[in-house]
Amino acid sequence: MSAFQIAECVRDGETPLGPARSALVAISEAESGPEALNAFVSLNPESALTGASSGLLAGVPVAIKDNLATTDLPTTCGSKILDGHVSPFEATVVRRLREAGGVIVGKTNLDEFAMGSSTENSAFGPTLNPHDRDRVPGGSSGGSAAAVAAGYTPIALGSDTGGSVRQPASFCGVVGIKPTYGRVSRYGLVAFASSLDQVGTFGRTVRDASLALEVISGHDPRDSTSVQREVPDFSGAGKRGVAGLRIGVPDEYLPAALDPGVRRLIDEALERLVDRGAVVSRVSLPHTNYAIPTYYVLAPAEASSNLARYDGARFGVRGEGRDIGDMYRATRDAFGREVKRRIMLGTYVLSAGYYHEYYGTAQRARGLIAQDFEAVFKDVDVLFTPTAPTPAFNLGENTDDPVAMYLSDVFTVTANLAGIPGMSVPIGELGGLPVGGQFLAPWWEEQTMIAAAGGLEASFAEEST
Amino acid sequence: MSVDPQDVARVASLAHISLSADEAGDLTGELNRILEHVDGLRGLELAELSDLTPQIRTPLPSTRSADREERDRLTVTLEDFAPDVRDGFFVVPPPPGLEGEGSK
Repeated sequence: MSAFQIAECVRDGETPLGPARSALVAISEAESGPEALNAFVSLNPESALTGASSGLLAGVPVAIKDNLATTDLPTTCGSKILDGHVSPFEATVVRRLREAGGVIVGKTNLDEFAMGSSTENSAFGPTLNPHDRDRVPGGSSGGSAAAVAAGYTPIALGSDTGGSVRQPASFCGVVGIKPTYGRVSRYGLVAFASSLDQVGTFGRTVRDASLALEVISGHDPRDSTSVQREVPDFSGAGKRGVAGLRIGVPDEYLPAALDPGVRRLIDEALERLVDRGAVVSRVSLPHTNYAIPTYYVLAPAEASSNLARYDGARFGVRGEGRDIGDMYRATRDAFGREVKRRIMLGTYVLSAGYYHEYYGTAQRARGLIAQDFEAVFKDVDVLFTPTAPTPAFNLGENTDDPVAMYLSDVFTVTANLAGIPGMSVPIGELGGLPVGGQFLAPWWEEQTMIAAAGGLEASFAEEST
Repeated sequence: MSVDPQDVARVASLAHISLSADEAGDLTGELNRILEHVDGLRGLELAELSDLTPQIRTPLPSTRSADREERDRLTVTLEDFAPDVRDGFFVVPPPPGLEGEGSK
């Protein structure tokens, strides 16, 4: 059942505890058996004892990425350094889900501190792709994407700093939404790169992912980057249709090296949109090639600053040392390899002598990338691109090549750099593996991309009936 | 731009991260591969930057202090503050009337 249907049944009188209890039983059985995905790092059996009979998400079981603060379950960020850490406060998005009747059944696995594109960098071991257990689910919100794809919960929350909701949504065949920067409060989201981080939603349908977004959106005085704007009817936007919608396809997102199967599915999706009345045109975002270099200067720079707080004095575990410097180093030894790599890279690009060359140039490149979007959205309503260059890759395939891993986000990082909303929606399969298409919209125009994604989803649904 | 093992050791010190010799060697290679990719930013034409809004075009003012690798102030021991220490004890002037052998 979809989240929308569950909530409707509960509001109509069905017990609000039933869906969460069923979800917990299903997760416990599946995740302790030979087919376990390792999607969850903690479960909350107590959650099945509480439930609301009203609200947009009445009785709906929800999975939460383990970098969002909860008071009833640990918040580990998939790191040994926060092993057993329980937050004294709750993230605003978690509180809003509960207030809407949602039931938090567990916390999902992720790349340590959300740094990765495969969910292999977790202290709790990798999460597997429900469509092929030899492959990654994408990352860093791979646990949430896998949980929704496996049918454990109809919706889940993730975070998206460079594509960490949209890329795993594409790899797992579900819908994933990253809102405009400022649309959703980040209070209680453990910071990775603060100028890029956003909380996003997963659902098996456009309507469910949009419904979850509607619930968590809105101004929060506890997050100075959240913006005072009215929250539109996201959950109804998917039914608007695409007739007359102007869809741009950027040349730079269809390079010659793109997997030909992905290219074919993109072309077929565009044909479906045209058949439903959309107007498609080719456009250009000329600074796209600078996106990955820009991202891998800015994100590690911010991460090295944000993660300086993990020194053993305030959070989580504490290492032993002869003096305080030794204690810092012994504590930070608990960071995994990718986190250390990014802290080192960020410290280097911010160090004396390299700051202007790297950080200053990347900030200006970020401005050019945002300007590209500003210019192109004068002519089109939304953009359509592949979400990732390939379907899900094999476990271990890119772990020794950080640049190859980073390039998995080549089509998603631009939305974070510009602050615009983006979403991934399934557009077909290649060899049994799902492939996602990405819609990008102007700032604060989530409802337009949801309408486009809803139209595309409807064309697939019509075909299957 | 590339880094050598000395750069990696300096950055690790700034970041409070300890690295084994093997880790430092691996990290030197990995950072160089990433920096080689990041150097793609050098392709940005200065002329393009001049099209940007003044806020973006203006070079960022330097508000940063120099990198410091000095000893953390909290690692200073109590002995460093004492005028004199003998056998792990602070040496203080004797109370009046008790001056004698062994006292100071």
